[in-house]
Amino acid sequence: MTKMNCDHVIDYLNGTLTAEEMREFQLHLNSCEDCRELVEAVGELPYLAEAAEPPAGMKERILANVFDESDQEEPIKKQEPALEAVQPASKPAPKVVPIVKPPKERIWWRPLIAAVLLLSLLGNAYAFMKLSDDGGGQTEAAFQSIDLQASESFAGSAKAALVSEGDSLEVVVQGEGLQELSGSEVYQIWLLKDGKPIPAGAFEADADGQGAAFYQLEQNTEEWDTIAITLEPEAGNELPEGEIVLSSGL
Amino acid sequence: MENSSDFMLYRQIQDKDKDALEQLYDRYEKILFSFLLKMTEDRALAEEALQEVFIKIWRGTGEYDESKGKFTSWLFTMSRNSAIDLIRKRKKPTVPLDEISDMADGDSSVEDKAEWQEQKDQIQIAVERLSEDQQKMIQLFYFKGHTHEAIAELCDLPLGTVKSRIRLALSKLKKSLHGVQEGGAIDD
Repeated sequence: MTKMNCDHVIDYLNGTLTAEEMREFQLHLNSCEDCRELVEAVGELPYLAEAAEPPAGMKERILANVFDESDQEEPIKKQEPALEAVQPASKPAPKVVPIVKPPKERIWWRPLIAAVLLLSLLGNAYAFMKLSDDGGGQTEAAFQSIDLQASESFAGSAKAALVSEGDSLEVVVQGEGLQELSGSEVYQIWLLKDGKPIPAGAFEADADGQGAAFYQLEQNTEEWDTIAITLEPEAGNELPEGEIVLSSGL
Repeated sequence: MENSSDFMLYRQIQDKDKDALEQLYDRYEKILFSFLLKMTEDRALAEEALQEVFIKIWRGTGEYDESKGKFTSWLFTMSRNSAIDLIRKRKKPTVPLDEISDMADGDSSVEDKAEWQEQKDQIQIAVERLSEDQQKMIQLFYFKGHTHEAIAELCDLPLGTVKSRIRLALSKLKKSLHGVQEGGAIDD
């Protein structure tokens, strides 16, 4: 694992370091006045905000939700399908968008949508065949697309699409500008919950620096909070050994 | 003093003291909401991000201790990351460059002074000493939460250039703020 130094200060600010890297960077901070001052200076930027009046009843809503979480000893977003977050009572923000292509959506994920839709259709056909068994309850698909943030020392980019339908979760990742792999290296995708990862597919970069993966989690019971891609020394690792190169909160 | 009492409150929160959480909430509600609103430009989203922050504090995710520097820096970083998560999920079309509002658009002479006016004046002077390009980088990176890639695309610059410009802008900010706090000129 790379030694944490001044090169990682922006990753630190962006919260894209792993827990271990975070600890290492903290040690670096203790000894590097330059980085410490930079972090403190950045920590003053929020004061530029214009004073805004909080919405009526916000405090009550937030505190109720915070304490409600803990009283039930349940993780965040309990009982919600994986991709639907708790909404503030005031106004539902459109977090889960239906599978409809926005007018100006970039071209990259058309093939992914095609792939996902195909699988989704197969899934529906399967559901249809099973209709008589389970009473015909219709499952609703939730779709989420994510831009992953590259770590500071990584030049590539990637986008992910997550589709949850009933118990299953489909993960599609497409990367661009990826650096070439050497030996048995792979780009490994992980889903994380509270810092605990599970592998969720892997891919390699082609000569044009592109790569894609599709992964299906049949019994998705967790509510993942992070998706990350590491550069693994080899395929099939159950826990990440390589450094995170791309990541995003979910 | 402020810091140590923040830290004491935080300690009590770790012991599941609801009153302490409420006190911390009251202390930072306004600045955090204002900051999150500046980032998200959406009141509902700002509230959602703020809720995430306090849920994390209450659950003890991403623990704070004094070795991590100022409590406010830690709190703001966590808040910013919550907002970024929500912004990225919202998938709003990218705002064209010329529609991006200035970072320090507040006229500090207006009568509606923020509770944090003193800090605001300092950081505002520090930011105004940066070049326009550096201010833009900080606006896009810090407040808008754009990825390096998005900024590269938006500004039509190579990725490597964007990374070095952000870094340069932040380190100039550091120097500039240092200069303001010392009451002198920029020391470079």
